[in-house]
Amino acid sequence: MVGAIYSNWLEWLPDQLDGLFVSVQLTAAILATGLPLGVLLALGVASPAKPIRWAALVVVELGRGTPAFVILLLVYYGLPQVDVLIPAFACGVIAFGLAMGAYTSEVFRAAFGAVGKVQREAADAVGLTGFDAFRYVTLPQALRIATPALMGWAILFFQATSLCFTIAVPELMTTAYNQGSVTLDFIGAFALAGTLYASISIPASYLVSRLERRLDQQGQGARPRSRRWLRGARTPAPSEG
Amino acid sequence: MSERGLANRSAAEAPAAAASAAGDAPVVRLQDVSKSFGDHHVVREVSLDLRAHEVVSIIGPSGAGKSTLLRCINFLEPPTSGTVSLDGRVICQERDRHGRPSRKELTELRRAIGMVFQGFNLFPHLTVMRNLTLPQERVLGRSRAEAEQRGMELLERMGLADKAGQMPGRCSGGQQQRVAIARALVMDPRVMLFDEPTSSLDPELGAEVLAVMRSLAEGGMTMVVVTHEMHFARDVSDTVVVMADGAEIESGRPEEIFGAPKTERTQRFLSAVMDR
Repeated sequence: MVGAIYSNWLEWLPDQLDGLFVSVQLTAAILATGLPLGVLLALGVASPAKPIRWAALVVVELGRGTPAFVILLLVYYGLPQVDVLIPAFACGVIAFGLAMGAYTSEVFRAAFGAVGKVQREAADAVGLTGFDAFRYVTLPQALRIATPALMGWAILFFQATSLCFTIAVPELMTTAYNQGSVTLDFIGAFALAGTLYASISIPASYLVSRLERRLDQQGQGARPRSRRWLRGARTPAPSEG
Repeated sequence: MSERGLANRSAAEAPAAAASAAGDAPVVRLQDVSKSFGDHHVVREVSLDLRAHEVVSIIGPSGAGKSTLLRCINFLEPPTSGTVSLDGRVICQERDRHGRPSRKELTELRRAIGMVFQGFNLFPHLTVMRNLTLPQERVLGRSRAEAEQRGMELLERMGLADKAGQMPGRCSGGQQQRVAIARALVMDPRVMLFDEPTSSLDPELGAEVLAVMRSLAEGGMTMVVVTHEMHFARDVSDTVVVMADGAEIESGRPEEIFGAPKTERTQRFLSAVMDR
């Protein structure tokens, strides 16, 4: 006898919320790894030094050309074969961080290009070093341009963390699978998990589309920096950076 | 015409002019500067002396290489050949394997020479004040408080004190260009380069910017101005350089250039622009 799809949800919800918390932690760790890697790879691909350029290109093409799931299994099962033992959570971060770095490098490359030569020239003309020009002029503007696309990738990788169920990370999907195994109510367990994924993904997608609309309307340079207005906009005071 | 600057002549061609400026060594000297992009020769062996407090206007038809020459002065475009000297010292001769000069020399050069672009090129993600404080803090090592004080002095001078907290995108074109001038001036440069600073502004907004430039010139700022504003070139400059096809075709005091141009090419150019 199969009950209503949601008959066990109240009972399962606390454990699934714990699993969701792990999924969010995993996503945060993937972002913390993948986004800086994406910046580095974008810079590497644009490097005038051939060895750096080629090495970055190889990582980008392999990262984009290989399914993230394959990279995950390679890391989880492959590293112990060469006597490198790391926790499953870290395997997920390494594999998806690599994949995210490869994908977002293209986003960053386009954003750096969109900032444009004139801004780098303006930084040069006032005597900023290359590093300062990148840190204070190019990167903040590129991040603002890239933010909607990066948020899109963050949502995709949040959903992709469900693949870590296969390497026994105690994230949301693993929790749901275990609950389904015990009760044989897989539909109910996975439906609740799906609902929880959606409760994060749908508002985030809505936020991305609002961001895109806002950027389209306001155009570059017409408003304060993105991170500020994500928190609630106000025009910075003169003393602020 | 003011006594501020003495005649600016090709260093190779005008020993007399140089002699007349005895004891007044050029701040910046270009010697046979050329710039090519592949087979395209944009600037051809131009020499120029710029003395303290002198205002030099570079005029000529579009595509003459005026802006490129200006950008060679602060190495935004490193010259393909020829030398740029600052205070009698040839700079940026040593290049790395990519042909780039040393960062240290470039920073030294750009601390001494400020630049204002046609398109303003303010940092759009920073407030007007932060546009002014960032280079002071990072390049000159000033504290935030010192930088803001100096920034506010310049904004007040430009009549823009109330814009300090605004984003550049909220300012008019004329205001943005004045902020750009202030951003260059906060670095206390010895020379200012202006690359067609009013070309992207309507006449009314351009007049605001020209007024600021006139007051700078009257205050003794050493300036090189690439411009299509012939009245400015005639009234404010100590020396006018006419360029065409990448080369300097004539230079002299404004009354000579505008009153009795020597070359047919200069006559043709001036008659086209002055009749407009």
